[in-house]
Amino acid sequence: MPVDSSFAKTLQRALISADSGAVIQIPVGRFSFDRSISLDGIDHVSIIGAGKGKSILTFLGQKDGAEGMLIKANNILLEGFTIEDAEGDALKIQDSEHVVIRNVHTTWTKGAKSTNGGYGIYPVACTNVLVESCEASYASDAGIYVGQSKKVVMRKNIAHHNVAGIEIENSQDVEVYDNLAENNTGGILIFDMPGLPQANGGRVKVYNNISRDNNFENFAPEGGVVSTLPPGTGMLIIAHTDVEVYDNEITGYKTLGLGVISWFFTERPFDTSNGYDPYYKNIYVHDNLFMRKKAIPDLSKEFGQMVNALFIGKPQDIIIDGIFDPEHQDLPTICLTDNGENLRYTNLNAETATGIPDLKKLLDHDMSKLICQGTSFAVEGIEVE
Amino acid sequence: MIISKDLKVQGGCDPAEQYMFMKFIGNQMVGKNYHANEVRWTIFGLLLVLILLSCEQTYPAVHLTDEPFERLSEYHFFKDQLNQLSPNNRVLPYDLITPLFSDYALKSRFVWMPPGKTATVNDVNLLSFPEGTALIKNFYYPRMDSDHMNIVETRLLVKRSNGWDPLTYIWNEAQDEAFLEIAGDFKKITAQDPTGNSFTIDYAIPNKNQCKGCHERSRTVTPVGPTLKNLNRIYDYPEGSMNQLVKWKEVDYLTGYDMSRDTAKLADWSDPSTNVHDRALAYLEVNCGTCHHQEGPANVSGLRLDSHESNLFNLGVNKAPVSAGKGSGGRKYDIVPGKPDESILVYRMQSLEPGAMMPEMGRKLVHKEGVQLIRDWITSMPTTE
Repeated sequence: MPVDSSFAKTLQRALISADSGAVIQIPVGRFSFDRSISLDGIDHVSIIGAGKGKSILTFLGQKDGAEGMLIKANNILLEGFTIEDAEGDALKIQDSEHVVIRNVHTTWTKGAKSTNGGYGIYPVACTNVLVESCEASYASDAGIYVGQSKKVVMRKNIAHHNVAGIEIENSQDVEVYDNLAENNTGGILIFDMPGLPQANGGRVKVYNNISRDNNFENFAPEGGVVSTLPPGTGMLIIAHTDVEVYDNEITGYKTLGLGVISWFFTERPFDTSNGYDPYYKNIYVHDNLFMRKKAIPDLSKEFGQMVNALFIGKPQDIIIDGIFDPEHQDLPTICLTDNGENLRYTNLNAETATGIPDLKKLLDHDMSKLICQGTSFAVEGIEVE
Repeated sequence: MIISKDLKVQGGCDPAEQYMFMKFIGNQMVGKNYHANEVRWTIFGLLLVLILLSCEQTYPAVHLTDEPFERLSEYHFFKDQLNQLSPNNRVLPYDLITPLFSDYALKSRFVWMPPGKTATVNDVNLLSFPEGTALIKNFYYPRMDSDHMNIVETRLLVKRSNGWDPLTYIWNEAQDEAFLEIAGDFKKITAQDPTGNSFTIDYAIPNKNQCKGCHERSRTVTPVGPTLKNLNRIYDYPEGSMNQLVKWKEVDYLTGYDMSRDTAKLADWSDPSTNVHDRALAYLEVNCGTCHHQEGPANVSGLRLDSHESNLFNLGVNKAPVSAGKGSGGRKYDIVPGKPDESILVYRMQSLEPGAMMPEMGRKLVHKEGVQLIRDWITSMPTTE
């Protein structure tokens, strides 16, 4: 397909001059951009292409701007286009309300490179967001990522060959269902990170997803938390409160099916002055299918090396760090119920451990202590047009 | 002021001067003993109209309309030849103590407010500008082949009834006009840095949304340069040197300013006699803090670079990146005390890659002197080990 470089300015002018209510079409074709394209402050705008792989925006050789497309506006529909090779994040939506992202594909075409942009589809600090039927690949951080947002639904998406397939970070009232995450380093991540304006996430339901064969090399640049993620991770929950994980198929992992850890376990500094809670609470994992891969766990990352050292070449199904908030001993910190037979489960009891020999003495494999029902919570539904 | 043979008024349009002139004419008429009052007042009135019209033809006053002009000259901010940038009446030049680095471009800044209007000091020590205000900023380089300047662009912030409107005018080759461009552009520039090294860059002129991207507080466009503390310096006016805030007060561009109370003064980043901490924070506030501010677009990173920030973690000390992607440069923390070469802050200031560099736009060169300052500052921090 020939590349059209003249459309970039046409589209940018249209997005600057749009009236509220405008429907801006991206025709069939391959269009090159040398700087970020953006919509800022004009509400009720739709940007609609002819479909994934049909309307392609390529940012190869981009000279300016830290993302491919940047949206800061309310009541927005983004549908039916592909964003390729953005210098930074492919599609960033910030400080926006009522956003629908449908049938959008973000990718980097040169394969898994640490110089690829961080995020594919990246709503941050948004409220009422629906991400559906999208595809994200080759992001050097997360393919589909939602951060510091409220009321989010992610469904029917496919994330593959990213470091993290799908990631929920410091977000509240999130439903993640009917998604497929495969061939990423890690399938689905639910993190609470310190030092952010939205200090804590909460109320996340993850169900009916398939997280399979997420054994892809970790090609994230050092620095970000995902750079420590061991290849072969089905799902990882860090320091979150109120997470229900059920009816998922978590399969084909060579290192770990599900990890649940506090921020302490990352051994990274944090600050609680904004109310950040480094512990996980009310994590309810039930009725999932776990099926590990027959393989040597990852040796490239510290966490994988630890799994290898503790369990000598055996992939694990569920590992928790056992670092519980002493102030909230009464809450069910974590419940692991009806997730199948013969699971390799370990509570690391890592609170006092320093080093592998220490850890070995403290391992607890008795999951029956955690058969319980999590405290139920409701996820506030989204409102989009 | 004199009247030439063809009765065209020569001289300034200062109302005081005009008043003196009319009084003079009036006295002349009385002196010549005209007896018919009607005749006297008719002639007086005709002369007044003539003077005002002639004056209009010579130096039209600055005027703004609800819609932006296509040409910079239409605003009449400058008299005589446009590229001399000689300010028209009421167009007041100003300078900042610590400016934003823009690829070593030189800048000349002006402010204009409608007659009878004035800025006020609001409670957070910021300036609140009246409707109709125009902030005018010219970006230029000395020409390598002549003594003239090469003016690249003039950026305006015009305060309309619905808020600040960012406008960029790109100068033509002849340097006699600049034209409105909302979609931005690139211009090949060859010039020299302060150490005499010549460079050639694709200077990036921002599109309208990119202007908004930096001039943003809580999703509202706002000026970021002229704060009380950054204006609090001496300026060499044609009529003599004077503190800018005192001058603004004197010409009624500022009310509510109390010289003994509003003493806050930003450090001069380039003044080696000031301590390195204050200089570094001033530099970071101006170059990074427009976005990395509690209400700025980079607040989602949790990194706050303004000179009031006292929480070291928020300033980046031992703070892991959140969504830096490849911007981390493989480094773990924004600032590692004592170790500039392990600090992400320095990496991103030294980078020229669009997806990794900071600021995200408006820079095609490394600001060597700025980087050195931040390196010195980080080196001066006591190591935490």
